[in-house]
Amino acid sequence: MKTEILQQLDGYGDVIKEIEVLRKYGYDYSIDRGTIRQYIDRLHPASLDLKIVDIIEETPSARTLRLASGGYLPPFQAGQYIALTLDIGGVRTGRAYSISSPPNQTGYYDITVRRVEEGYVSSYLLEEASPGQRIVTSGPSGNFFFHPILHDRTMVLIAGGSGITPFMSMIREIVQCGIDREVYLFYGNRSDDDVIFHDELTEISSTFSNIHYIPVIEKPSRNYKGLAGYITADVLTKELRELSGKTYYLCGPPAMYDFCLPQIEGLGIPKKKIRREMYGTPKGISAHPGWPSGVKEDAVVTVLLQGGRTITASSGEPLLNSLERNGVIVPFLCRSGECSMCRVKLLSGKVFQPEGVLLRKSDREYGYIHSCAAYPLEDLEILI
Amino acid sequence: MTDYDVIVIGAGNAGLTAATSLALKGTRVILLERHNIPGGCATSFCRGRFEFEVSLHQLSGLGTAKSPGPLRATLNSLGVLDKLHFVEMRDLYRVIMPGRLDVTLRANRNEAVQELQKKFPAEKEAIASFFDFVYKFFQEVIGAFYLNDPEISRQKYPLFFQYALADSQSILDKYFQDPLLKLALSVYWTYMGVPPRHLPFSDLAALLFAYIEFRPFHMKGGSQMLSNTLLDQLLRHGGTARFNCAVERILVKDGAVRGVKTEQGDEITARCVLSNASPIATYIEMMDRDEVPEPLITQMRSSTVGTSFFTIYMGFDCDPSELGITETTNFICATTDSDRDYTESKRLECDESSFIISCYDVSDPDFSPPGTCQAALVTMKYAEPWLRLPPSQYASVKYRCAEQLLARSEEVFPGLWGHLEEMEIATPITHMRYLGHPGGGPYGFDQYAKDSTMFVSPKPPIVGLYGAGAWYGSAGYQPTLMSGASAARAILKELKA
Ligand SMILES: Cc1cc2nc3c(=O)[nH]c(=O)nc-3n(C[C@H](O)[C@H](O)[C@H](O)COP(=O)(O)OP(=O)(O)OC[C@H]3O[C@@H](n4cnc5c(N)ncnc54)[C@H](O)[C@@H]3O)c2cc1C
Ligand SMILES: Cc1cc2nc3c(=O)[nH]c(=O)nc-3n(C[C@H](O)[C@H](O)[C@H](O)COP(=O)(O)OP(=O)(O)OC[C@H]3O[C@@H](n4cnc5c(N)ncnc54)[C@H](O)[C@@H]3O)c2cc1C
Ligand code: FES
Repeated sequence: MKTEILQQLDGYGDVIKEIEVLRKYGYDYSIDRGTIRQYIDRLHPASLDLKIVDIIEETPSARTLRLASGGYLPPFQAGQYIALTLDIGGVRTGRAYSISSPPNQTGYYDITVRRVEEGYVSSYLLEEASPGQRIVTSGPSGNFFFHPILHDRTMVLIAGGSGITPFMSMIREIVQCGIDREVYLFYGNRSDDDVIFHDELTEISSTFSNIHYIPVIEKPSRNYKGLAGYITADVLTKELRELSGKTYYLCGPPAMYDFCLPQIEGLGIPKKKIRREMYGTPKGISAHPGWPSGVKEDAVVTVLLQGGRTITASSGEPLLNSLERNGVIVPFLCRSGECSMCRVKLLSGKVFQPEGVLLRKSDREYGYIHSCAAYPLEDLEILI
Repeated sequence: MTDYDVIVIGAGNAGLTAATSLALKGTRVILLERHNIPGGCATSFCRGRFEFEVSLHQLSGLGTAKSPGPLRATLNSLGVLDKLHFVEMRDLYRVIMPGRLDVTLRANRNEAVQELQKKFPAEKEAIASFFDFVYKFFQEVIGAFYLNDPEISRQKYPLFFQYALADSQSILDKYFQDPLLKLALSVYWTYMGVPPRHLPFSDLAALLFAYIEFRPFHMKGGSQMLSNTLLDQLLRHGGTARFNCAVERILVKDGAVRGVKTEQGDEITARCVLSNASPIATYIEMMDRDEVPEPLITQMRSSTVGTSFFTIYMGFDCDPSELGITETTNFICATTDSDRDYTESKRLECDESSFIISCYDVSDPDFSPPGTCQAALVTMKYAEPWLRLPPSQYASVKYRCAEQLLARSEEVFPGLWGHLEEMEIATPITHMRYLGHPGGGPYGFDQYAKDSTMFVSPKPPIVGLYGAGAWYGSAGYQPTLMSGASAARAILKELKA
């Protein structure tokens, strides 16, 4: 609108006067340079540059890496994870690890890693990572934690193997900070000589009456006295007596998860009372419901990156891993299909996406996939 | 030869429509977005079985095929109108002040007037003449301002000349006595971010007129569907987009832009750069002080960073009817004193804040999985107190504020708390993180009369540099979507010249 018209509007002069006064006394935003980033980084830094300050051998198959920044670390809620980015044998990749130290410990984050058969990153962390080494991680992430508004004060924690780590953080926080919550921990392991944190848990449960520790061993040794077998509906019912008024948290490798979830659901526990975290992508993906019968896991397909190169990938492996092996950088966090960080657009070809991948409706409509949980079934073209 | 004709910084509503318009005209355009997904505010995220809508409550200005609003033409010219499925809302809103007021206004002038007359019989005539006034005034605004009548004069547009810069409170006071009635007609002020005492009456009139005449809408798949559809259209027409690619520097030489440098260190050259990031980020973060013309810094001195929000995204294990939610949009007010209410938005605590509950499933039963529904509870909150909070207290304060609001919702919708299955809480800091805006402001600067495009040009005095979106004009879906398209027209002109 032309100034000579504007000038005729009632009140124009008053607005101009306001502007003049404010320009004289107002705020000079140039002193704010860099502050937005600082505010965000205090809580949600895009990445952290950490150092391994200590390594604690836990069991024959697991060790704890203590990570510190030398200064400030952003707070987290017990149960959250960090994603590590590593360069292993020339491949830039990474994995998510729950923080096992409690949030009240502000000087470092502990992660506790258990060996996974033929695991690329876990083997590296167990065999090669050494004190003094620097590791780039994400800030604390994830939605697997006690939610005071949604959850009950009695927590039933069901862990399998390395799935103990978020619970360790929760339990340590509860006992160290004197939080008024009751915990039943069901902890499944294959053998009784490889139970991470067993001594500490035994000690805590004998000291604190609100912490109940129930180990369950699949193949117990001869003089083992506790519960044997799997964590079943029966075991839960017997130990808990009353099932309602409690929130259930399930965490562990996909096989344990696939077994325990139906057990809990079978008890008639409503969906909203069950929280879960699945550790990584399942082994033997072709056994999953919905996998097309004609496709073998070792099938090799090609993936054309729009406007770029063509790489090869194998059907039984998440697309993200193949991309990384070929030096293609795709951001990631959870690597279990939930967070959407690794989202890429599928221009042609088919992928298998297991149930539980949290895809937006509009992403599905426009062919986006979460590459960490998408298995190429045929030749693909994608847009990063 | 430059790498591109135009670089667009930010894939919010304005960035998306600008880039898409340019691509449709055969311009070589690249869109750079810091986040991994397009949309800015216009996005969604998943928790459990729910996909939470982040920001779209009521889309304005769309209208129907028979009686089209201005946004319809914009979306049509972008070639996306037919690809989206819109859901019309029956009501403007329900306003509730527990124990004192409960009235639902239909998105229909006569019905709204009658309903108000029934509730406020003593002010029957005033209600009718207020609506007459809003309509007459706004029709003049359309002719004089939006259609830019070349023969504009005070004789032709008397109401426009008299009231274009008037505030809303003085008009409400002129027509009405009962504070509850004034409240019922002015609750939309939170959609603009400043209270009626400061809200230009032209904005309040625009809201009432546009939402009644063109109806409030939502869309299937939520606002992320809009963002994905616009991006798809951009890519189909030869445009390029990069995500996880924040612009760190705008390259300027001799008072003209040359291109940008990304956080990965890539330099991309272009004749024009359009920023959908805030002016503070654009002129202060992305340029050096000596590259920025002094008038820009001076101009910003007269503006204040606008409000952000505290939002609870809620997924319920039942239908809306079981919660007693019968309308999509519910304003739940704590007081009739809007100045007091506004002051509350500068406080951390939410125990006395007014708020909105929008339950999308009321209008679109497919919005959430069968047997469930979702709602967003939103209250205006400035970032300042959140920035002063020690990080270690952030999570617990979030929960405390959410509890305060949920307790107040229980008064209106008893049993709501018990049906919660999933929830996520967003604060001004959350908005800051995902948008990169100062103060986490999805509305840009506070929108006083002095901040309108009548007084502040969205075009910075640097050759080839443009701005579009909430920070460069009005906030909201319709204005930002349209501002991108109009910035694209200005850029095309410059490219041709
Ligand atoms: C949120 C979250 C938190 C976690 N927290 C922890 C934790 O606290 N502690 C912990 O120990 N772990 C944790 N995990 C698991 C961890 O992230 C890794 O998934 C785990 O360490 C295995 O990684 P890897 O690289 O060793 O195995 P990978 O190399 O990823 O292998 C995983 C499985 O796939 C199979 N496989 C490997 N290569 C191929 C191939 N080419 N084709 C087909 N199959 C193949 C392997 O045999 C193996 O069984 C967490 C996971 C998530 C998602
Ligand atoms: C809770 C909530 C409810 C709302 N309800 C409604 C409603 O009901 N109706 C309505 O009309 N409006 C509503 N709004 C307002 C509306 O959503 C916004 O005004 C509008 O979406 C803003 O669009 P924009 O174009 O200004 O860009 P924004 O959405 O602000 O996006 C800016 C983009 O720029 C990117 N960016 C920033 N810096 C950089 C950089 N350096 N490099 C690259 N990219 C960068 C950001 O990541 C972001 O994607 C609501 C907003 C919120 C938050
Ligand atoms: S990394 Fe989280 S969904 Fe793939």
